[in-house]
Amino acid sequence: MQDTTFNEIADLALRHTGQALKASKSYLMEARLSAINRRESFATLDDLAHCLKARPNPRFEAEIAAALTGKLTRFFGDREIIDRIVTHALPERLKNSTTGRLRVWCAGVSTGQEAYSLAMALADAKDSPLRGAEIEIIGTDISTDCLETATHGSYGHFDVQKGLSIERLLANFSRQETGNWQINEDLRNAVGFRRHNLIEDASSLGHFDIIICRNVLSDMTKGMRAKAAKHMSDQLLPGGLMFSATTEDLNGVVEGLNPSRAVRGAFTRNRNDGAVAAA
Amino acid sequence: MKHCLIVDDSRVVRTVAGRIIKDLSFEVSEAGDGAQALSQCREKMPDAILLDWNMPVMNGLDFLRALRREENGKDPVVMFCTNENDAEHIAEAIRSGANEYIMKPFDADIVESKFSEVGLI
Repeated sequence: MQDTTFNEIADLALRHTGQALKASKSYLMEARLSAINRRESFATLDDLAHCLKARPNPRFEAEIAAALTGKLTRFFGDREIIDRIVTHALPERLKNSTTGRLRVWCAGVSTGQEAYSLAMALADAKDSPLRGAEIEIIGTDISTDCLETATHGSYGHFDVQKGLSIERLLANFSRQETGNWQINEDLRNAVGFRRHNLIEDASSLGHFDIIICRNVLSDMTKGMRAKAAKHMSDQLLPGGLMFSATTEDLNGVVEGLNPSRAVRGAFTRNRNDGAVAAA
Repeated sequence: MKHCLIVDDSRVVRTVAGRIIKDLSFEVSEAGDGAQALSQCREKMPDAILLDWNMPVMNGLDFLRALRREENGKDPVVMFCTNENDAEHIAEAIRSGANEYIMKPFDADIVESKFSEVGLI
């Protein structure tokens, strides 16, 4: 791949998703675009870059930018965070809720494992104070391919063996003729998936009690990370909690979003911040 | 150091699994069928057993049932590691006393994840 090709595609990624791709990781660009390259019968990424220049196509550009985002995820990849949300954060939010309805947003959910892990953990927490609460889980991602997998809830042999105990697999999945394992219908119905670009306004998603955004913003430039964090913070209800990874480095990035004193690893919006109305 | 017995009639599988499990800081020993494995368990009960299903002489399920009847035979964590990947086989293995189940083919990540699930690491 020529340097100019790398720069043009990296620039495209920055404009569409805020991602800052490093030249030292150009192999990632080649790997993540290989399926599109094959489908379009391009021999090299140089051909793809040439086509983008010769025939500008915003939809194709968006598809390329989405394909360049990282997709590493696994079931219960952040088990401690899921436990903290189920045993502490959501019950606390429920205490202050007048409607008994709670909303959780898994931002940058990729192929859905994080959202389904939370749904499984909630289903398992039978004696929890959350019993009877109406909990809506929304997963968003920029990649329609990822969202298709997430919505179908069908995962390969390797995916279901990392992070899931065999009891959880048997209890929550059915084996398909293809050899894949599909998550059961009740759990599929418990999670909704929507396409959303984190650097764009998120008001159409509504407001949330909990936002999980882990290992999603760390590839973005500082400015784009702040922009995405602000959009998410705008959708967080006062007193709500946002869980991020330390690599996201959200300390002081958004005014009014501060580390939670009550819940380790979470940020919260000040309760007296009246900018957000109740959901 | 914890001890894991790998029971599989394939030398290749024993070697590959053995390398992965040694990297998890386990002492590893091997058996080529259920009867050999049972004899080794009677001499020294391992902490964990990685167990194939289909083997000559004594298959994995018969070995597991016999093991659980032995003195201290309920102690080892037993993980099936097999090509029998349908829900019925998995359920039968759990009913018979298996603690976990690895579907072949596997990689180091899967083995590590399953060892973690059962509290071995």
